[in-house]
Amino acid sequence: MTSAINPQPLTFPRPIFAAVSPHPFLQAHLRSSTSSKPFRANGRLVTEFRPLGVNPGSLTHCNGSAVVRTGNTSVVCGVRAEILREEDIPGTQTYGAGAGATAGEKDGDEHMEGSEEQEEEEEEDDGAEIADLHLLVPNIELSTGSTPTTLPGNAPSSLAQTLISRINSLLHSTRLLRAKDLRITYTPSINPEDPYSAPETVVKGYWVLYIDIFFISLDGNPFDAAWLGILAALKSTKLPKAFYDEELEMILCSDSPSEAKPLRLRGLPVTCTFAVFEGQAQDDGEERKDWILSDPDAFEEAICRESVTVVLEKGGLMRVEKNGGGAVGRDEMKSLVKRSKERWAVWEAVLGKA
Amino acid sequence: MTTDRRRINAPSGGTSAPVFVRTVKEVGYLQSLRPTRTRGPNEPRKIFLQTSIIPSASGSAYLEIPSSSNSSTTTLIPSSSSLKITASIQGPRPLPRSAPFSPTLLLTTTVKFAPFASRTRRGYIRDSVERDLGVHLETALRGVIIGERWPKSGVEVVVTVLEGDEDAWWGDGVQGGGGGGWGVLNVLAGCITVASAAIADAGIDCVDVVSGGVAALVRNPDIKNKSEGALVKVLDPCPAEHQDIVAACAVGYLASRDEITEIWMKGDVGSSPDELIEGATHAAVGSLTVLKEVLLEAVEAQVKGQVLEDEKVEQQQDIEMVD
Repeated sequence: MTSAINPQPLTFPRPIFAAVSPHPFLQAHLRSSTSSKPFRANGRLVTEFRPLGVNPGSLTHCNGSAVVRTGNTSVVCGVRAEILREEDIPGTQTYGAGAGATAGEKDGDEHMEGSEEQEEEEEEDDGAEIADLHLLVPNIELSTGSTPTTLPGNAPSSLAQTLISRINSLLHSTRLLRAKDLRITYTPSINPEDPYSAPETVVKGYWVLYIDIFFISLDGNPFDAAWLGILAALKSTKLPKAFYDEELEMILCSDSPSEAKPLRLRGLPVTCTFAVFEGQAQDDGEERKDWILSDPDAFEEAICRESVTVVLEKGGLMRVEKNGGGAVGRDEMKSLVKRSKERWAVWEAVLGKA
Repeated sequence: MTTDRRRINAPSGGTSAPVFVRTVKEVGYLQSLRPTRTRGPNEPRKIFLQTSIIPSASGSAYLEIPSSSNSSTTTLIPSSSSLKITASIQGPRPLPRSAPFSPTLLLTTTVKFAPFASRTRRGYIRDSVERDLGVHLETALRGVIIGERWPKSGVEVVVTVLEGDEDAWWGDGVQGGGGGGWGVLNVLAGCITVASAAIADAGIDCVDVVSGGVAALVRNPDIKNKSEGALVKVLDPCPAEHQDIVAACAVGYLASRDEITEIWMKGDVGSSPDELIEGATHAAVGSLTVLKEVLLEAVEAQVKGQVLEDEKVEQQQDIEMVD
């Protein structure tokens, strides 16, 4: 036993090395390859994202839906529209004031859709309208057996709760949806108070969008996958034409697909998540080095402390979230924004095709 | 209405599903949307099944039974639902240290509907139907798994229903109030088949491959009087396509041993329940043929992949583990 003739260095098969000491495993990978193009354990380059797959319109009972895949993370997202009646809105604040006061002007505006700027100006405060009335209800379910760590039967894990609130805040801060698309207005044929003046347009109700995201499989980077699912599902969403019926005194919809209207999204905000892998100093005197990994998978997420999420639009940066660690400075952040910009084009191509 | 503080809640005033104008105002339009069964009484629907869809689980499968009535292009109202179920197996893995000793594998089954699974939106908190389905699924699987081979371990079977069969055609729901949940039987049969595929994918030892099937007695709408001949036995009924289901039965069936591990019967069966059960086992054999074929394909692919993997590993060995 003791007389090993040829003492070999200790070797393990790959999966065991990864499970026993994940940190040196990844570091060995990043170091062993040539310094200009360091490969990760999953075979991707440091700056490489996973390919995207988008399959919209797969659910029967949704107004819009999508199945989205990035690598081994896959998500089903369904958007369902229900009606919130005006009399069910608590409080007394009226939001559709702009719509109510100037019915004639509004009608004219609808005919010239081209004047995008004018419209933007008019809808200055529609973010508050959507947020206060809770017109968007996004929720995320992770406990579908998608990952060994969150099992059903328990309350949503802290990861799920964090994701929900991050998604919710991003949906509102990017002002992705227009309140005008969600309003259900009604213009009576005659003005009941003064038959000679033009009738006022009133808001009779709102569409409430329930956005439910189910993770089928989770292998890292749930935030980007969920957001891609939301974008793809919202893009495929069509709301039926809704109107107030005087005779029945309720909101009715037309079931004709040609009258249904797609949602007009404001731009295309893209999220890109990065994880910082902090290398450890080696015995051979090589200095410590950090790597910033694009689109981390579950294995990398588990050993990285610091993460950065960049949200950007074609025009520029919308939001930066950074958690833990201090490796990313100003220069690194600049390079991350550059990487995200390249990624934006990929998202646009995938979503544009879908 | 209670608020769930861990999730985003709907507006407190409550929302309602849209009402379509032509179903309310046009006489006869609603009935024109009613789907009808186009296949024969002994012909089950087509099944799509795939295993190993979730890399992070030890075994997984996806089952889809597409809607038999084509989705129409003239209306936004879907005529009938399809069935889409995923199953994921986590384990077998050691029980937590606090758990008491168990000489056999502890099986836990969970069935959850997605909020968009049915025509009316479902909640996130598990309801009684889902718990009921979970228990039925557990009975169906318990007798199949050879639990003695995994003492002190547990396995989780998580089934997510992305889209479930409906209890009746939606247009009838207003008058009848639901005939007693016929759709649940279809969902259970689907759950059994998909869970069985996932268990096989996870490599858990079983005595046989269990599969699910449903049969129903329906009243023939052409014959008005309630004579004996008015009842027809159909395999794999789609509840939306049958106006009047009298009885239905779902089974979990082991074909090669000719054993039934689970049976759920509803409605007025009459004097001969055996016939209905036999019909359900026939339907189960139908889904078993698909199941077997898919599992065989998966094994073949795995063997092929193994050979390729071995070659790759040999190449990679050089850069492995220098420290």
